[in-house]
Amino acid sequence: MTKPKISSDWMAGCSGCHMSLLDIDERLLEIAELADIRATPITDLKEPDESGVDVGILEGGVNNSSNEEVAHRMRSRCKILVAFGDCAVFGGVPALRNMCGTQEALQRAYVDAESNDDKGFIPSDPELAVMSNVRALHEVVPVDLHVPGCPPDPDVIYYVLKELAEGRMPEIKDENLHWH
Amino acid sequence: MINLTINGKQIEVTEGTTVLNAARQNGIKIPTLCDHPNLTPYGGCRLCMVEVKGMRVPIASCTLSAANGMVIETDTAPLKKSRNVVLALLFSERNHFCPFCQVSGGDCELQNAAYDENMTHWPMQPQWTNFPVDTSHPNFILDNNRCILCRRCIRACAEMSGNFTLGVEERGAATIVVADTNVPLGQSTCVSCGSCVQVCPTGAIIDRQSAYLGHDKNLTVTRSICHGCSLGCGILVHTRDNRIVKITGDYENENAGTLCKSGRFLPLDERRVRLTTPLKRVAGQLTATSWEDALVTLSENLTPSKGKIAALASTRLSVEALSAFKALFVDGLKSKMVTSVEEGRPTALQSAYAEQNGSSIEGKLDTLRTSDCVLLVGADLTTTHEVAGFYIKRNLPKGTRLIIVDPNENGMDALANINLKPRAGTDAAVLGALEAAVVKDGLARGAVDENIVSLHAALDICELNAEDVTDAARMLAEAVAPIIVYGKGLTAAGNPGAMDALVRLANVIGASDSERKGLLSVKGEANSLAASLLGMENQLEVRDEAVYVAVGDDYVSKRLVEKLANAPYLVVQASYESALTECADLVLPVSIWSEEAGHLLNAEGRLQFAEAVITASENVKSNLDVLNTVARELNVTLNDDWRAALTKRTSVVELESK
Repeated sequence: MTKPKISSDWMAGCSGCHMSLLDIDERLLEIAELADIRATPITDLKEPDESGVDVGILEGGVNNSSNEEVAHRMRSRCKILVAFGDCAVFGGVPALRNMCGTQEALQRAYVDAESNDDKGFIPSDPELAVMSNVRALHEVVPVDLHVPGCPPDPDVIYYVLKELAEGRMPEIKDENLHWH
Repeated sequence: MINLTINGKQIEVTEGTTVLNAARQNGIKIPTLCDHPNLTPYGGCRLCMVEVKGMRVPIASCTLSAANGMVIETDTAPLKKSRNVVLALLFSERNHFCPFCQVSGGDCELQNAAYDENMTHWPMQPQWTNFPVDTSHPNFILDNNRCILCRRCIRACAEMSGNFTLGVEERGAATIVVADTNVPLGQSTCVSCGSCVQVCPTGAIIDRQSAYLGHDKNLTVTRSICHGCSLGCGILVHTRDNRIVKITGDYENENAGTLCKSGRFLPLDERRVRLTTPLKRVAGQLTATSWEDALVTLSENLTPSKGKIAALASTRLSVEALSAFKALFVDGLKSKMVTSVEEGRPTALQSAYAEQNGSSIEGKLDTLRTSDCVLLVGADLTTTHEVAGFYIKRNLPKGTRLIIVDPNENGMDALANINLKPRAGTDAAVLGALEAAVVKDGLARGAVDENIVSLHAALDICELNAEDVTDAARMLAEAVAPIIVYGKGLTAAGNPGAMDALVRLANVIGASDSERKGLLSVKGEANSLAASLLGMENQLEVRDEAVYVAVGDDYVSKRLVEKLANAPYLVVQASYESALTECADLVLPVSIWSEEAGHLLNAEGRLQFAEAVITASENVKSNLDVLNTVARELNVTLNDDWRAALTKRTSVVELESK
């Protein structure tokens, strides 16, 4: 049996979920034995193999056109898509800006913030991604497994990775179920 | 009894039990968010739906009365699916993002319910609507974004404190919880009892004092008794690292979870400066010293004046401490003037009456809770003994009548059916007038006293109009279970005629008879009744003698400071710096209510034990310890049996120990 290929990426998140993933410490070696870890934000390869991977893991919500592209690319290249962490599962902290709207959030951050001088302006370079409301991953593409947590506990991440690496679908419940 | 089957289990419950409570009593968990065991069922959240054999659709178990032969299932696949949908709808309604919520991680009933259903996500996103956040209240924050509209807070406000401040505005998804007519909570009719904080299942009502100081699982809970007043409400003290994080009402005690701000919030808002070491006056200045030196100084200054010491203690001290205090000064040092800081103003009059009468005359708080007509005399239950006021207020919508006799403005005036505002100092005449009016209308239920006053004469004295008094008299006489609640306003003046008039009125309206005692005085501080039973209720007169004041953690009145400021030698046993400690010659630092264990005897004669919940700092001793140490230093042997000491006088209310 060939090792299952696992790839991950991040979108509108804080990278804390990936930090929590690194927090599984030496168990990372065990996962690396069981699975073929491909493109991730913390490995050299940056995009999941065009030939496809078995498991795709996405951290963060979807807050602009660039995130959408990442989400669709991962979905199209993986068999099992994992929404990793509260932002991917619910929208998380970034989704708070939906309460006031994108424009007001930009205005507050780039123009009105106390730390800005009077030259502050909202970036408008056409090459920048187009912003949208922050969405949970499942609002953009179908998701197979939700792993909530802000961030998910390393033990939960280890459990999830191990199950996936060994070809089983993890069950997120009881002790493994935490939304924050 | 009713027999029903839940999940195949045969269950027997009393008639009138809801299916939800029947399940609870038998260890079957049905999830619910809006239901609370101490509040009227509401049927709002739809989480407790069950299948009843023979019924077409699932039905809410919290509002369904158990009936004979019912066959109920609580955990079928369709029910689980329905719960999932209900929870998803609740989550998607507002801002229920857990990571930045104070109660997330164990204290949120909404989150816990989702965990129980193994929900990893919710399938619908919120509408991203902003709801108002009200931060105007000093004790808590109301965040409508976290609200699930279970209306527990609204029911608690009405059913526990009888305050009816909280309600809802708008309809459907736009519904929000508001105070009064949507005014900021801080400017509303809220009395800060905090019942809403205690029952809120989510993070919608946040207690400012305990927020972010730990989840319930991190806190140690100790069952104790509130020291705020003589009602002795049960409290749960939540501590962490020798610090009180919050205080909540004890549902198991008589108060059934209800507290007022003095019980819930004020003990955590202590601004006074704590005394941490003995102080003695050296060259006019209070100077820190050791306990050894303080005790030597004490015996040097008190021994020569044996028999010439005035001693007074706070009625917040435990029964043990008060009894030891009395044994030390009355029996040991033969002091003529041993009293409490209350000087008997809330208790002496009725105690003297009971003693003369040879039996108790007062009833229990439960008589108040179940009364249909309350005559309130000389007591403002919105400033002290607030929970007794709640017991009255919560019954008003059910038709309980309230008549207030108070020459001063009373916080409950607006709620009264009849307000009698007599000329100050004429309470006895008002009571006499009411009695005369009852008799005149031929409504007297008991024997009519031969000393009855004439209605006209009485009305002339108290300057009330005949119509109001006659209406009040009728209301009282026609009530099924009337009660007269009285306070310091009536007793402080020390007019024995007022007590006679009170008892006669109680008899004539049928409040008190051979079976029922419809009289109740709210008394003073936590151990007011105990101090009274120990005979510590004389008016303080200080002559040229040393004075020992065990003030404990009590506040010191200006009046008292003025009386004591010129004492030739003043010893103050206190927890906090005050105007009194400033003029003391010797200050002995003692623990506060939460740091020492002891008994409290409440206004209805119920003896309760209050546990020590935290530890005082090293140099601070308990009140009882200090008294024992002082006794040893002064060569006084304390043979003190406080239980026996309490029974030496006839109590105004029957004593019961728990």
